[in-house]
Amino acid sequence: MIQIQNVSKWYGSFQVLTDCTTQVSKGEVVVVCGPSGSGKSTLIKCVNGLEPIEKGSIIVNGTKVNDPATDLPKLRSHVGMVFQHFELFPHMSIIQNLAIGQVKVLGRSQDEAHERGMKLLDRVGIKMHANKYPGELSGGQQQRVAIARALSMDPICMLFDEPTSALDPEMITEVLDVMVELAQEGMTMMVVTHEMGFARKVAHRVIFMDHGQIVEDAPKEEFFGKPHSDRAQQFLSKILNH
Amino acid sequence: MNYQWNWGVFFETIPSGDVTYLTWIIHGLGWTVAISLCAWIIALSLGSIVGTLRTAQHRGLALIGHAWVEFFRNVPILLQLFLWFFVVPELLPHDLSMWVKQDMPAKEFITSVLALGLFTSARVAEQVRAGIQSLSRGQRNAGLALGFTQTQTYRYVLLPMAFRIIIPPLTSEFMNAFKNSGVAYAVGVWEMVFVSRQMVEETGGQVIESLIVPTVLYIICSYAANLLMGVIERRSHVPGFIVAK
Ligand SMILES: Nc1ncnc2c1ncn2[C@@H]1O[C@H](COP(=O)(O)OP(=O)(O)OP(=O)(O)O)[C@@H](O)[C@H]1O
Ligand SMILES: [Mg+2]
Repeated sequence: MIQIQNVSKWYGSFQVLTDCTTQVSKGEVVVVCGPSGSGKSTLIKCVNGLEPIEKGSIIVNGTKVNDPATDLPKLRSHVGMVFQHFELFPHMSIIQNLAIGQVKVLGRSQDEAHERGMKLLDRVGIKMHANKYPGELSGGQQQRVAIARALSMDPICMLFDEPTSALDPEMITEVLDVMVELAQEGMTMMVVTHEMGFARKVAHRVIFMDHGQIVEDAPKEEFFGKPHSDRAQQFLSKILNH
Repeated sequence: MNYQWNWGVFFETIPSGDVTYLTWIIHGLGWTVAISLCAWIIALSLGSIVGTLRTAQHRGLALIGHAWVEFFRNVPILLQLFLWFFVVPELLPHDLSMWVKQDMPAKEFITSVLALGLFTSARVAEQVRAGIQSLSRGQRNAGLALGFTQTQTYRYVLLPMAFRIIIPPLTSEFMNAFKNSGVAYAVGVWEMVFVSRQMVEETGGQVIESLIVPTVLYIICSYAANLLMGVIERRSHVPGFIVAK
């Protein structure tokens, strides 16, 4: 589904990604972790072309992302993305947030989009807030809406960039529950997170990044069993100990 | 103070015709409002486009926007007016140039609107740019990630919020448009500044009356502009949204 091959990327003269290679198969859940500044967000933004790459190639569902001829908006419309800071559109009500992409990008009718939107809101437990505005919801609620918004486009895979790290502890669970459910339904997911509980529960593979490189890329059991690199071991002991 | 007050001066007829000074000043007010509103429409539309261009990811577009702002913002408005009025017609192709100089109707008015509109557009563009840039980078990404094109991202995501955020500075630009419209007197538009200057000369010293009335009228205009923007601000208020995050 997602193939990342020998990807390198620079910001000016600073190399953020160095020769990253990995893939996410259909139905697979891959967790990406690593210290701050290691390039996790950058990597995941390259997958749907929000950031260009200088070397290598990324192929999503058979389409090459870094090909100038690729219709990026079309590709992105079926790759869902959830951000650390939710990024709901503050001037639109919750249901409008869910409808606008369906109407303007997929060409659905307002009624159709609203119906689909309400179903998804029901699923993430926000139905009663459909007519409120993002600013009137808690962080956890906003993030669940953001997941529903991504789902409203009927994505073939979902990208998450630290979806719970801006949330208070009690809200983390409500968002993770939605993500676990999604994973169990067989959604293809690439998730940047430090929530190792989530990784243990639903991940198939775990990737560890450091200094722009993929240092570890192993099946979950193997990764938690004994990570090979010292760096990964250190990192894990740090985040698992608090 | 040895000043001879004479409010009756407004009911005297002007030397060149049969209207009173009061009528004349009301006509002046009409021209002031017409210039300001027309210029504001130009400023708002061009300023929005140019301000948006300045935030575009395309280098060339951003550069055009930048040049526009620097030119129209850095040259004094009065000089710009003279450039449009005296210099630009000379640069046109011969036939067009002759037509502009001899036959163009309402030449003074149109030139003033153009000059004030372009001058103000650069200032509006700066506000629009600042508004867009005050939004988090994530908002643009969120729009793009949904499958919006760049244009749709501006249209549905960035500009609606940017405009809400910049209503207060836009209000002062709108009020400035009224105040700056006074320069039109310099090319002979009979707007309020022009009328009050004429009054001072023709009435033989009723300086205070001649200046106080336009002053009050300007204040009323600016205040009305302020009220109007206030209404727009309340209408477009986003529930739960706190400016500056
Ligand atoms: N637009 C940019 N311009 C220049 N450098 C950048 C830019 N965005 C990120 N970087 C740098 O690239 C590196 C990787 O950033 P990235 O955001 O991908 O890290 P991350 O692993 O997601 O970290 P975090 O856990 O803090 O989110 C960092 O050193 C960062 O400073
Ligand atoms: Mg990050």
